[in-house]
Amino acid sequence: MRERSNIGAGFCAAALLSCAFLFASTAMAQEWTTSLVDIHQGSPLSDKARDLGNGGYELQSGSWVSFSRWYHASWVDMHVDLLTQITPDTGILWGFGTGEQAEKYRIEPSLKLGFLTQIHPNPNSTLSLSVTSTIGGNLTEKPCQADYGDLGTYSVNCRLAAGEMAPEETLKYLVNAKPETMRLWLNYRLTF
Amino acid sequence: MSVNSLKFGLAAALAMLSATIASAQEALSPDEMAALCHGGGSICVSATIPVTRTTQAVQSWMSPDVGAAWAAGYKGQGVTITMVDDFSSTSRFSGNFGLGVQTQRHGEWTREEASMIAPSATIRSKDFSTGTYVPLASGRNVLNLSYGMYTTAGYSVNQIGWAPEEASIIYYATRGSAVVSKAAGNDAVAVGGVTGGQQDYLDLALIGKPTAIFVGALSSNGTTTNKAQLAWYSDYAGSNALVQSHFLVVGVEGDKTGLYGTSFAAPIISGYAAIIGSKFTSATPVQITNDLLNTARTDTLVNYNPAVYGKGEASLSRALAPVAIH
Repeated sequence: MRERSNIGAGFCAAALLSCAFLFASTAMAQEWTTSLVDIHQGSPLSDKARDLGNGGYELQSGSWVSFSRWYHASWVDMHVDLLTQITPDTGILWGFGTGEQAEKYRIEPSLKLGFLTQIHPNPNSTLSLSVTSTIGGNLTEKPCQADYGDLGTYSVNCRLAAGEMAPEETLKYLVNAKPETMRLWLNYRLTF
Repeated sequence: MSVNSLKFGLAAALAMLSATIASAQEALSPDEMAALCHGGGSICVSATIPVTRTTQAVQSWMSPDVGAAWAAGYKGQGVTITMVDDFSSTSRFSGNFGLGVQTQRHGEWTREEASMIAPSATIRSKDFSTGTYVPLASGRNVLNLSYGMYTTAGYSVNQIGWAPEEASIIYYATRGSAVVSKAAGNDAVAVGGVTGGQQDYLDLALIGKPTAIFVGALSSNGTTTNKAQLAWYSDYAGSNALVQSHFLVVGVEGDKTGLYGTSFAAPIISGYAAIIGSKFTSATPVQITNDLLNTARTDTLVNYNPAVYGKGEASLSRALAPVAIH
């Protein structure tokens, strides 16, 4: 049987880094091993960016503009997570994300850093704690230049340019989103 | 020649039909994800945008474009529509714009229609029986003229002794200081043509003016799959290129409202002009007029001919869309 409880919380990134280096310094004499923990493509922000590509509208001429051409990335954000074991019960979690971009948005590359520690309350159980922090990885939507003929050329939110909203107002609805920057995992495992 | 006493509202209010009105469209909540496609897919947006909660409904007699235009909650604010019409006579007739059967004066009907198309616009009523000067509001202005000034045919426009009312309107159209939406007429003749030995001299005076738009009626709102044709009663553009270039048509679905006539075409264009003015807040009346004229559709009309339909069927969605985007 296995029981698990997860708690998400935010902590100061500086404190996290300090903890990580503290563990590292106390274990310098040991041989460190690094393992690949996870590798995957995509993220909640990738999904959000992909959703922006749904829809379209007609220009004045009647020609159809599909949003997909602006929000289709040829490469999807790839995340690689690694664990460097310092002691039998502690390790540094680290990794990176490649980011992705299309014509009208960009997800920045990201770095992940944190630590993992565990204790054994009894021979059958393990209580582990990990904290990770992500730097970068922000999603930023870019504006378009819309030519309204005699009515002028405006910087607009590409998706709202044909709507009823004033061109300058549409810029308020450009998407700017951050990834989950801090994650705390608490895991209890009981084996019987 | 004076034409002060020769104003005729251009409506033909037929017997009230048991109208199948109002496919009411509930407004969206402010934080609702708007993924909206209207007008046969002419506008789709995908974004979280604020939408004003309102009880205003898109009516079945309206073009699908109107619902699309309202999707973002901007409905003509910052623009004043002045309805120059009958607000004082004893003549009333019945109809139903989807709000229930009402019996109202001509001006009350046209005012109601314009306010339904552009519900956030400021609507002013100017009774045309006074003949007094029509003042403009501060900001962007639209004048709605669902009437004509008829007298014996054969005079030239400059022989007409205009009252301050029409003189001011013609001045605004000449100077481009207000969009002037003029009902084309219900005599099935070319704009300004002779009917019963008379002519609409207000039509004639507005020909060639930069912000004048003559508005004819279609019997329905056109689509590419269900094209519309000119209503049997509507005046048409005719052979004058100056009229053709400032002539638009819109659907007047009297079978749903019991209200027929180009009187009910002009307020639709007035409302469209107000909505465009609420999007392009620095646009001049000339720019708004040209935007409406240049984006009219011809592919929604039966046997499009500029001598009949002028520039074509007004398309609000296209008038709001960019020419190009990158």
